[in-house]
Amino acid sequence: MDKVGIVGYYYMKMSPDLIYGRYNLIFETVRGALDSVNLKKKDITTVISATNDYYDGRTISNAYCVEPAGAYLADESKAEMDGAFAAQYGLMRILSGNHKLAVVWGGSTPSCYPYDSAQLYQTDPTFERPIALVNNITAGGFQMRAYMEKYGVSAEDIAKVAVKNRKNAAKNPLANPEAQNANITVDDVLKSDILSDPVTELMYAAPCDGLAAILLAPEKQALKITDEPVWIKGVGSNQDPYYLGDRDLSECKSMEMAAKMAFDGAGITAKDVDFAEIFEQYAHEELILAEAIGLAEKGKANELNSEINGDIPINPSGGAIAGHAPFATGLMRIIEAVKQLQGKADGYQVKDPKVAIATGQIGFCAQNNILYVLEKGGN
Amino acid sequence: MTEQNVVTNKGMVRAEFNFWVGKYMDKFYDNLENKKIVGNKCPKCSDVFVPPRQVCGKCNETIPLEQNWVDLTDTGTLKNYTITKWKITERGSRKVKDSIIGMVQIDGSNTAIIYKLLDVDPADVKTGMKVKIEWNDKTKGEPGDIKGFVKA
Repeated sequence: MDKVGIVGYYYMKMSPDLIYGRYNLIFETVRGALDSVNLKKKDITTVISATNDYYDGRTISNAYCVEPAGAYLADESKAEMDGAFAAQYGLMRILSGNHKLAVVWGGSTPSCYPYDSAQLYQTDPTFERPIALVNNITAGGFQMRAYMEKYGVSAEDIAKVAVKNRKNAAKNPLANPEAQNANITVDDVLKSDILSDPVTELMYAAPCDGLAAILLAPEKQALKITDEPVWIKGVGSNQDPYYLGDRDLSECKSMEMAAKMAFDGAGITAKDVDFAEIFEQYAHEELILAEAIGLAEKGKANELNSEINGDIPINPSGGAIAGHAPFATGLMRIIEAVKQLQGKADGYQVKDPKVAIATGQIGFCAQNNILYVLEKGGN
Repeated sequence: MTEQNVVTNKGMVRAEFNFWVGKYMDKFYDNLENKKIVGNKCPKCSDVFVPPRQVCGKCNETIPLEQNWVDLTDTGTLKNYTITKWKITERGSRKVKDSIIGMVQIDGSNTAIIYKLLDVDPADVKTGMKVKIEWNDKTKGEPGDIKGFVKA
């Protein structure tokens, strides 16, 4: 694969309610990414957005985003999936050889709509939807129980992941303030409100308002734009079956295959990874995905030292638990990985990383997964 | 910078869908109306699907509409469950009582379907327990004909 660099990025501080117009948010985010490397609208050759018509409250929602996203009379397209999938689309546009700069942006403002209820619309309208028992909350309950019962992992072990991510979030200035908690304990997590047993409120990556944007460029162009590009060395994506009842929720087969594809493409193995930014919808999912990626044996991810200064830091930024802005969350994982590789994660910097992975997902219980292998460029 | 004003739109446009269920589900619902469960079997891997499918995703094999139907019982095994107070359709309000939501593998099938567990104390629920369908008195050939599952 030709080298494609991540050359710029931006996301603003997340919040449960940004009290901000969506048009303005898009403009500031995309302009923020361009400003980060002193580029202008004229430098953009393609724009890929990651939005959802239902979440945006309008059909063909990208039609509305032309001007603020810098897409005025430009090549533009949309991936109605997590932003990390839109990044793959952007990567392909660059690899086509036709583009010098791709803007990839995504995000949503769940303060404007009932996010959890809207998840019901993922279910099969001809069977599961009329009964209305499945949304992201109950799906998470099924997934956590499946994992705990299969491997004998305790709720305490899972609560520790939430504690780590919420403490890391306290060090990440852009995290959702409601997720930041430097003094949280395992007991706090276990005793918080039950969302869907055994998942408690503090184990859940609660939706919040936020947008994110990254800039992609081919090698030659990337080196003109910045002296600290981060290279995409490999990418893999894969998907699990649709019905929850068809899947073994204690593991994540599609992430296993996505990771294999990405690692093979990059010519590395999970052992070569210095740290990981994983999109986890719930605390237990970080463990399931870490195992699928190969960072730990099945049922053993809770034994990893995944703190910022640990053996294999996972989600030093706090992960999605630090703030889950739907459709931006995967892009934020990529951005946080890039920040670390550039040595710019002030206050939560991993020691001298060279190779990172960042993941995105969409669907109940991580049905669709994507994984990037990223490598530090420049000096 | 903040905004003081918001604009809401409440059901300005009625855009409800009427979905055709397809020939396979049509047969499933015809049977449901008669308080019977049917599945269909992949000709290649022999997995039995409830609800029935036109295609086995794993084998990418078409399951012929007129063949491979399997009559099943209304009993099954609880594979997984979760308990919630939250309304699925409206996150803002709370239910007074816990709902136990079960994933049940109908005996003789390889998949699981999701329905409420009825008349069970949350403390008594265990994965692996045997359950059976509690039918609605009046069936209409729709998903709600199955009221839920009770202990077998």
